[in-house]
Amino acid sequence: MLAASPTTLALFLALSGCKGPAVLSGPPPVSSQTQMLLQAVTAEQNLIWIYTKAMAGYSALRPTLAPLLAEHQAHLAQLTARVVEPPGKKVPDAVTAWAGGRKPKLAATADGALVQLRATEQAAVARLLDRSLLGGASPSLAQLYASVAASEATHVTTLTSQVEQSRTGS
Amino acid sequence: MSANASATASGISALQGALVAEHAAIYGYGVVGAMLANGLQSQAQAYWVDHQEARDTLEAMLVKLGVTPAAASPAYRLPFAVTGEASAVRLAVLLEDGVVQAYLGVVAVTDVALRSFGALAMQPPANRAVVWRGSTVAFPGMPATTTSA
Repeated sequence: MLAASPTTLALFLALSGCKGPAVLSGPPPVSSQTQMLLQAVTAEQNLIWIYTKAMAGYSALRPTLAPLLAEHQAHLAQLTARVVEPPGKKVPDAVTAWAGGRKPKLAATADGALVQLRATEQAAVARLLDRSLLGGASPSLAQLYASVAASEATHVTTLTSQVEQSRTGS
Repeated sequence: MSANASATASGISALQGALVAEHAAIYGYGVVGAMLANGLQSQAQAYWVDHQEARDTLEAMLVKLGVTPAAASPAYRLPFAVTGEASAVRLAVLLEDGVVQAYLGVVAVTDVALRSFGALAMQPPANRAVVWRGSTVAFPGMPATTTSA
């Protein structure tokens, strides 16, 4: 029986043609599809944050905003479920990235908040319809982006009619 | 079949699917409009025109791709009896949801331009469905089973 001495191991490796264990490298880079998905997740988190703020600041808006917020929470759940967590990178569970790096200030009036929400929704729709996002996704993920974008486009319409009602006092 | 030819075939098939849905919506809105009055009827008429325009766009795209656009059926069987305003509105929701779903099929093709077209084309019928339904939905066009928790 061969003893497991360093000499024996070297001999075994030489005879088997094995070059020994590979050097460990860092985690593989996050794919561009995952990066885009993470951006979509962050965009939903941002929307949820601002809706929550607006509802807390202007209770009269709650009946209008609550169903839209619930839909954003559903969007977030579906998008997050598609993220295959890459090694070393956790799915963010809090707002992490606003354009410019700072959370926006809630508008000073309820009407202003509606306009602000509408603009945020419009920006989210535009991001989801970006050709690089849609084109770089698998068919089923592209469908999810398109469906979320269509939902958010209906939010824009809902918020627009709310702004108009508020302006005409009806 | 080459990968390109296959991609074109799936794009054509998805566009034909959307066209079939638009044909059905045009027919269906004739029924819807007949059961509505005043403002709601005007609304239905405007949406009927929207669907005709969408149909023309799809037909032009298909002709450009060298294929014959799917023709409308002479008649369609309604999913339920439309006897008044409530059932007419219910049919309108169904028609719009069907069109949204058909455009979502276009989003699944590999051609990026067609994907973008499909994603954008989902928005008007999704908005019209909201008008008829009176509320928004989280995932227009998606089957409920794929989006329920």
